[in-house]
Amino acid sequence: MAIQAAVGRLPETPSQVINREKIVDFVFDGKTYTAYEGDTIASALVAAGVMTFSRSFKYHRRRGLLCAAGACPNCLVQVGDEANVRSCTTPVQAGMKVEAQNAMPSLDVDVMSATQLVDSFLPAGFYYKAFIRPQALWPTYERFLRQAAGLGKIDPDSEPGYFDKIYKHVDVAVIGGGPAGLRAALAAAKSGARVILMDDQSSPGGHLRYRMDEIDGLPAYEYVAKMAAELVGFSNVEILTNTTAVGRYDRNWVGAVTGNRLIKLRTKALIVATGAYEIPLLFENNDLPGIMLGSAVQRMIHLWGVVPGARAVVVSANRRGLQAALDLIAAGVHIEALAEMREEPDADLIRKLSAEHVMIFKRTTIKRAWGIGKVQGVSLESLHSGQIHEFPCDLLLVSTGYTPANQLLFQAGGKLRWNEQIHEFTLDMLPSDVFAAGEAAATHLLEDIEREGELAGLQAAQFAGFGGKIEKVTFLAAKVEERRAERIPWTQIHIAEDEAKKDFVCICEDVTRKEIKQSIQEGFDSVELLKRYSTVSMGPCQGKMCNINAIHVCAHYNQKTVAETGNTTSRPPVTPVTMGALGGRLMEPVRVSPMHDWHVKHGAVMMNAGLWKRPDHYGDPSAEVRAVRERVGLIDVTPLGKFHLRGPGVPGLLERVYTNRWQKLDVGRVRYGLMVTEEGVVLDDGVTARLDDDFYYMTATSSGASGIFENMEWNLQSGWSYDVHLLNVTDLRAAMNLAGPRSRDVLAKIIQGVDLSNAAFPYMSVRQATIAGIPVLLLRIGFTGELSYEIHTPSGYGLHIWEALLKAGEEFGITPFGVEAQRILRLEKGHIIVSQDTDGLTNPFEAGMEWAVKLDKQDFTGKASLLMANQKGVTKKLVGFEMPDGTIPEEANQIVRPGNGPIGLEIIGRITSVRRSPTLKKVIGLCWLPTEMSEPGQEFTIRVRGQMKTGRVVPLPFYDPDGLKLNS
Amino acid sequence: MWKLIRHGLNGNKPLPRMWRTHDLKDSYDVVIIGGGVHGLAAAYYLAKYHGITNVAVLEKRYIGSGGSGRNTTILRSNYLTPEGVAFYDESIKLYENLSVDLDFNVLFSQRGHLTLAHSDAAVRTMRWRAEVNQIQGVNSSLIYPDEIAKLCPHLDLSEHPRYPILGALYHPPGGIIRHDAVVWGYARGADERGVHIHQLTEVTGINVENNKVISVQTNCGTIKTGMVLNATAGWCSLICDMVDVKLPITSHPLQACVSEALKPFLDVVIVSGSLHVYVSQSDRGELVMGASIDPYQSYSLDSTLGFLESLSGHMLELFPSLSRVKILRQWAGVCDMTPDYSPIMGFTPVEGFVVDVGWGTYGFKAGPVSGKRMAELIATNRTPDLIAPFYLGRFEDGALIGEKGAASVGH
Ligand SMILES: Cc1cc2nc3c(=O)[nH]c(=O)nc-3n(C[C@H](O)[C@H](O)[C@H](O)COP(=O)(O)OP(=O)(O)OC[C@H]3O[C@@H](n4cnc5c(N)ncnc54)[C@H](O)[C@@H]3O)c2cc1C
Repeated sequence: MAIQAAVGRLPETPSQVINREKIVDFVFDGKTYTAYEGDTIASALVAAGVMTFSRSFKYHRRRGLLCAAGACPNCLVQVGDEANVRSCTTPVQAGMKVEAQNAMPSLDVDVMSATQLVDSFLPAGFYYKAFIRPQALWPTYERFLRQAAGLGKIDPDSEPGYFDKIYKHVDVAVIGGGPAGLRAALAAAKSGARVILMDDQSSPGGHLRYRMDEIDGLPAYEYVAKMAAELVGFSNVEILTNTTAVGRYDRNWVGAVTGNRLIKLRTKALIVATGAYEIPLLFENNDLPGIMLGSAVQRMIHLWGVVPGARAVVVSANRRGLQAALDLIAAGVHIEALAEMREEPDADLIRKLSAEHVMIFKRTTIKRAWGIGKVQGVSLESLHSGQIHEFPCDLLLVSTGYTPANQLLFQAGGKLRWNEQIHEFTLDMLPSDVFAAGEAAATHLLEDIEREGELAGLQAAQFAGFGGKIEKVTFLAAKVEERRAERIPWTQIHIAEDEAKKDFVCICEDVTRKEIKQSIQEGFDSVELLKRYSTVSMGPCQGKMCNINAIHVCAHYNQKTVAETGNTTSRPPVTPVTMGALGGRLMEPVRVSPMHDWHVKHGAVMMNAGLWKRPDHYGDPSAEVRAVRERVGLIDVTPLGKFHLRGPGVPGLLERVYTNRWQKLDVGRVRYGLMVTEEGVVLDDGVTARLDDDFYYMTATSSGASGIFENMEWNLQSGWSYDVHLLNVTDLRAAMNLAGPRSRDVLAKIIQGVDLSNAAFPYMSVRQATIAGIPVLLLRIGFTGELSYEIHTPSGYGLHIWEALLKAGEEFGITPFGVEAQRILRLEKGHIIVSQDTDGLTNPFEAGMEWAVKLDKQDFTGKASLLMANQKGVTKKLVGFEMPDGTIPEEANQIVRPGNGPIGLEIIGRITSVRRSPTLKKVIGLCWLPTEMSEPGQEFTIRVRGQMKTGRVVPLPFYDPDGLKLNS
Repeated sequence: MWKLIRHGLNGNKPLPRMWRTHDLKDSYDVVIIGGGVHGLAAAYYLAKYHGITNVAVLEKRYIGSGGSGRNTTILRSNYLTPEGVAFYDESIKLYENLSVDLDFNVLFSQRGHLTLAHSDAAVRTMRWRAEVNQIQGVNSSLIYPDEIAKLCPHLDLSEHPRYPILGALYHPPGGIIRHDAVVWGYARGADERGVHIHQLTEVTGINVENNKVISVQTNCGTIKTGMVLNATAGWCSLICDMVDVKLPITSHPLQACVSEALKPFLDVVIVSGSLHVYVSQSDRGELVMGASIDPYQSYSLDSTLGFLESLSGHMLELFPSLSRVKILRQWAGVCDMTPDYSPIMGFTPVEGFVVDVGWGTYGFKAGPVSGKRMAELIATNRTPDLIAPFYLGRFEDGALIGEKGAASVGH
């Protein structure tokens, strides 16, 4: 049976946001509850009489609704697979499954709450002093500590859901849609600026949405609704509700979240009108369920028609506290007593309250609340006489202070200063493109708030280049200044002299005043250290509730002023944001060649090569190797980096980025090139072909492609090379390599416009030709060690050429081959793979590539380092080896000799590449060895899966040492 | 433990101060610049092992306000070079006994460390590291998805199109620690032995005569001393500038963030180099996450939105079920990057000016061993063998210790 929601509901009023026609059911901790459309989870639960929402972090104390504004940790619940949901700002949806968090085993019976009985033994940082000996038990203790900590749970089967991002660009962005923000947006809009207004609630209006007092003859909520309606009329204004700005980053880059969407906003001027947080007061048991902030009670009554109690005690220190008391009376709640901390509270409101026969105690505060599981009574204490009065109650309304929601201002570089006169942080300085108005600037009287808002709107528009009336700005600015001087405090912070048990400064982390005192005594006397040691303000509210009280307690025990004590850093995000919203749509781009589908259709086993998908093999890599060696094979090499370089400056650029010479490369010729870093470390290799006087074609390794492009751009842009037009054509060209003794025969069948004979088109040259009318570039080069042609063609024709070659090759037994066969082929030929056979320190001399380094040419990248390395000589070398006993070591196995390491071995080298060669029928590979051990014939020991195996150095290449095949 | 109980039974009499405040003296035998783990550990070991207690630690803000209070607390020794492995291994061993040594629980949680391999090349690198580690006596091995699934069931081990998990380097002794506790524990230990810790004391200049350090200037006055240790990590080049010692170091921001606290579900440290992300779950239940350094040089401590976006995206590729977990707080630190991703420790051309710098993104784990060995260097005036390979001159000699493969994201 669903629990009826209507029990605690007031009659319908226009300020309410619920639709009583639409009833929805949801489940909380296994029981079904009924709510109205428009209810939040919290309002529905409070209406149904639920008082305990959660169990606290450390002591597992019961916690009930406190702020109803999405700031405090008390109402965090688990909704389905989402942990730590703020139930007071999350609308109820039909069928929602809501669970209480951190309750063991249940909200009503929590065994962990026993910890508070031994709290004297658990002072701040107790874990630093416990569980030290015996050491062996620490992992067990740790498991227990971990289990006790943490709030919500992760469901491993949770589906990622849909998230996305959107960009916005405006002249003026206003954060906060209360009276300050609305006035600001209106003023900016009238100037013609493009304006965006964001508010985290379901409609603009800020604190006026739940206020009844009359303004200009209208109830406050109507007054502000009219303002919002006026703003809607502007076509240059966008209003985003349910949208929370979570961070202000460099240059007014603002991150905001609405539902599953991250908004990234760039604004010329930013107005922060985010209002203020009402903050709790320190007294014993200040965390009992049934203790609520004044604004929370007002929200409950006016937005959702919910009365959270029947007999209330009110503690007030500002106008709004007294107004909230009047609201309670109007809602039929009996007020047992009202403690007013000020000496001279607002006479008009006191008069009204007296007329309602409320017992009022001036200059009085609360000393203690008591009750089992919820508040059942309070002791009030006169600040004059110390006299105590006790009252029973089921609701304690506390409205004693505010703290500006100034995190965005702080993040923007604003300097905040403690204002002793009004007991709040105010702004000393703001960057020129950021403005503040209203309660965020510690201004609380509506008239002043609106004036500040308008001023900020005009100034921001002006900053963004939209004319305003200068006289008006000057007038308003003067008025705002004048009023600032007259401000009276809305906040009273009271720290009793005597020590209470369990007055919580930080309700997220269960940090009491006593623990703060103790931390300070231990030397954690600056606010930053105090925060880290006691964990005050480290919880989900991020200091919104506790920061001000903590600073006061810190100042108190240090016997310093609050100004001297200072503030802690406010870090983004302002409210916690889901990783889903930040991550956005998880796009997983994959790069495929135009021949991709063909490969898949023909049984290729694909592999990842960076973002590329490549055929690893088509079933039998050894057969593919044999086909290339004996007949002819075709491999897709589209992922190669490919660049067009044009202009008279190309040789200069090549000289700079490659280690070898480039001034004299004839048109039609191809040259191998090696690149190193500034440190002389082998970076990449490839070939460059000269197609025409001023036109070169460069390739780089697939994995190096983007880095090499950036590197060349860097050289061009930073003035190291000139007169080059560089174009990255990696994605515009398909490439394939036709390799094997019959490759010329295959090509001859379908190529036009080129003489393929060895004399006319020798090794290391390039030709442009056509195949079936399609332009192709032919590079006669060979990674495989066979006669081969690399064929580059516009991507769109890639598949066509691929299929044409296969067809032409049919009679010669052509076989497509994959990356694995290519790896074997190149290894047989002794070619290295940069970054597999080399590492982050390898120089070309060690890699046996001194022939590609010309130290006598003019400056090039890495020259200085290479000169040094050359002088030092090489101490280790990359050499070929074979395994006489046929063991196949794993790549990265270490070469060792006896030594005095922990297992009696010393590392002297390592295996970088190894394969069983189908051609040579033995195990071959490349490895690093000390120079003195690198002569052919020398033997060495490899640690293979823990066993010692012998390898023998052999000369490179393993296959076709004289290069007869390549040149055939 | 007994102390706590006594404290509880005593009606909570004030606990003693962990460290005291002092007036700055005119002269100290040793001045350590930087109140991070490195500076404080050096002070502690100078006093403990060498009886040198006339020592000042100068810290411009509060202790631990630099990298030592901003790092993501990953401790491990599964490096790539024999020099690196031996060095970090000694540090882990010191960490293993640190709670007892300092009588302060630093919450070292040796829960295991996994470096994921998403490509064949990465598998090869992991095997390389495992092999080197094993030969050096460090517990590391290459494991495959079935075993990874047992250690970390929340990881997406399916055939992912982009970053499939092909294997991982598993390092059981690796883990996390409570960084602040290490800082405070060392501070307390040093203070107990007579070291002066001066917070809010910024070094503004160093005076050198005849190529010898003679005094240090601070915002609180000048101190005579013949021995200065630069342990300022992200700011070390600025200190070296004061004595004209040139370092091959650039300072880059490194960012990190935490989520709201969750019940324990992640028991190991997970690192993915290809995805530029690493994560662990603290004892408090927060996910502590970070990435690689920002690509630009800066001393800025500003956070960026871009960091949160890319980190979250990458986290979700690994852990798709975390999309509704919320980020609570982000911050940045400054890292002193060397070209070979190894630190610089030892003497400099200026007599009486020694450095313990170049800690980049990985220096927290080295605090104990650096402190101990730098103390030994200062006390004996000779370089201990263990740290000899990390000498400043190696960049001129071309004797680099390349740890990029093991340290750029892994920290
Ligand atoms: C986000 C992030 C994550 C990291 N993650 C890890 C990790 O997981 N594992 C790991 O091992 N390492 C990690 N590191 C690196 C690690 O934090 C640092 O290498 C380490 O803390 C350096 O310690 P330190 O004592 O040398 O320097 P710091 O802790 O930085 O201390 C240097 C101190 O010098 C002070 N100082 C500077 N200039 C002056 C001056 N003129 N006068 C007086 N004092 C001065 C500073 O205020 C600072 O407190 C990370 C770093 C960051 C930023």
